[in-house]
Amino acid sequence: MTLSWKRAWIVARREYLTTVRRRAFLLTLVAMPLYFGGIMLYATRSADSSRIETLRGFTQLAVVDSSGLFAGAPRTITTQVATDPVHAPEREETFRTEVDFLPDQASLEAELRAGRIRRGIVVSADYLTSGRLRRYSRSENLLTSGGGTRAVERWLAQGLLTGRLDSLHLERASRPSVRLDDYALGRDGSFALKDERREAVEFMLPFLFSVLLGTCIITGGQYLLQGLSEEKESRILESLLCTLSADDLLAGKLLGLGAAGLTLVGVWMAAGLALGGPMMAMANVHLPVGLLVLALVYFLLGYLFYGSLMTAIGAVTNNMREAQQFAMMFTFALFVPFIVMTAILGSPNGTTAVGLSLFPPTAPTTMLLRLALPSVVVPAWQVVASLALLALACWLVLRGAARVFRIGLLMTGKTPNLPEILRWARPGR
Amino acid sequence: MLEVHDIVKTFDGRAVVNRVSFEVHPGEIFALLGPNGAGKTTLIRMITDILRPDSGTIRLDGQPVGGDSRQRVAYLPEERGLYRHVSPLDVLVYYGQLKGLSAHAARAAGLALLERMELADWATKQVQALSKGMQQKVQFCTALIGGPRLLILDEPFTGLDPLNTQLFEEILAERRAAGATVLLSTHQMNKVEQLCDRALMINHGHMVLYGPVRELRARHADHAVMLRCAGSAAPPAVPGVRGVAPTDGEWKLMLEPGASPQGVLRELCGAGVPVVSFAVASLPLEDVFVKVVREGLGLDHGLSGPPEPEPATGGAR
Repeated sequence: MTLSWKRAWIVARREYLTTVRRRAFLLTLVAMPLYFGGIMLYATRSADSSRIETLRGFTQLAVVDSSGLFAGAPRTITTQVATDPVHAPEREETFRTEVDFLPDQASLEAELRAGRIRRGIVVSADYLTSGRLRRYSRSENLLTSGGGTRAVERWLAQGLLTGRLDSLHLERASRPSVRLDDYALGRDGSFALKDERREAVEFMLPFLFSVLLGTCIITGGQYLLQGLSEEKESRILESLLCTLSADDLLAGKLLGLGAAGLTLVGVWMAAGLALGGPMMAMANVHLPVGLLVLALVYFLLGYLFYGSLMTAIGAVTNNMREAQQFAMMFTFALFVPFIVMTAILGSPNGTTAVGLSLFPPTAPTTMLLRLALPSVVVPAWQVVASLALLALACWLVLRGAARVFRIGLLMTGKTPNLPEILRWARPGR
Repeated sequence: MLEVHDIVKTFDGRAVVNRVSFEVHPGEIFALLGPNGAGKTTLIRMITDILRPDSGTIRLDGQPVGGDSRQRVAYLPEERGLYRHVSPLDVLVYYGQLKGLSAHAARAAGLALLERMELADWATKQVQALSKGMQQKVQFCTALIGGPRLLILDEPFTGLDPLNTQLFEEILAERRAAGATVLLSTHQMNKVEQLCDRALMINHGHMVLYGPVRELRARHADHAVMLRCAGSAAPPAVPGVRGVAPTDGEWKLMLEPGASPQGVLRELCGAGVPVVSFAVASLPLEDVFVKVVREGLGLDHGLSGPPEPEPATGGAR
């Protein structure tokens, strides 16, 4: 490798300044957090308001009792729900649902068709032994049958126990956990009370952190791809390569555009802490310094890994469109952890989570997702192994990419196929 | 200045440059000629250390090319471009810094070059706002900044109007006077005749012509002299001349084998011919080019076709 750090630094400085002065960069810097923040706010609000709307519309329940078990059941269902569980969990609203008994299923169906009722249940004759129910509704919702399931279950419990228990036991049996104080073992070894706010922050924090990391790695990689494609298309590379070596150019680009990616992370994190800091403080959530340091290390290695791949792709393709098609195949891996996020969050030290944390292409996002979970202790050996494997992969990819970069830079015309590229990447060429 | 010794470069088993050796002397303008696909660009890429030869050596001022020698070499490729969304001055500052100048010095040198190229008013405009000719001038400036000792220019005059062509030639003369060496690759043979001291021509990766331009032209010409004399009468028959033919106001005297131009001149003067000018006939370089390529001539003149290719070695850099 014939590397001149002086020339690499000049390239890095130019790449950085050119990138951060671009309108697209400023737009990404400002618009991306607003966009994601807006979507998440809308999704949270929308889920809450949809739940409340469902209960608000659940004013009437028709019951066909073929079992005869519910003759003495209450004629009203009362439901109390926190309308804003994240910001004001203590604020509750009470909803009432009137219960009307109908003689048979045909009447229920007729009432539903006529629109006089919106939902009803049919309790089968063998309900006590089978526990089977049928729910009918004027279907307006693809995913549920109109909600209110918990309220109906509570009414069923009350109906079954009326006359068999005193009112206090009856109330408790129908609503066994009015308030569940959830304590979880934290990293410091003590049990901390989980509340709605904390749960929300605990869920969002690793997710956001990981998305942020993935986005920045990809953004930095995209800048590399874009810059190289532009230089290739504008035929500037040949005169540039007389002035500096391909290694100077590669190192300069990786440094300068990595710094541009870090600028994005820095600004977004600073903005996130400024805006989300009070909420985190309220929820008693702190970002450990160790986590931030590890995030930085994962960013640098992840960026080096994907950045090297992007430079090789930029060098062998003829234009941006071609380059992006190639790049998409590789960058998809970085977002695999989000596709299997349920498995990772459900079992943060399970096989899927550990496997993806050790596999270099998915390691940065998966490990950050796990590390940022407040109640999860990731074994130190896994962090070390993950970083070591990622560093090894970076070294191999960087070496191969440098070779492909040197050969591919001045090539035009037919894009080489994968076996050709792999042949270029082999040592000794 | 530049010593290229026995270099070979193969791609996929095919020798693109095969055992080429030549020297470029300090301060000369040296032409690199050859038909399309002859291996000129590969040869230039090896001189600029963009590619490495499979064998052979390239030395600049006695040192192998690459590393710090990059700061002494500049290259204006045939297929050239510029960053479109920055100003010409920023482009020049960037290239100047890569050539080892400080930011301040690069800026001053960039402004001076733009001034010399009559582009001072466009220094801070975006490159994409410049016409094609103006962009070509900025590209020329990127090669000139930093005062390179060896200037490699591949078809620098293509697309230029006569005024700008003249401007480029003036600047080349200035650079030459300042001690720079120029390696010029072009298909414009009139420019080679006009500007270059010596030339190398390659075909199929092999050297086919190498030497002073005037000698190359004479070597491939017919055995004849060009005579201009006062009056319109044809020169009389003198010993050593086997035929006379009019050519653009001159007379072309075809000499007999073994006859020398000096002897013929003596005979003409002795016969009272009012000689105005007398010169050994030479072939225009363009005709030499066509002749050598068509007839597949080698360096020893009589050789037909390029030498047998060397066994393939190595691969890309």
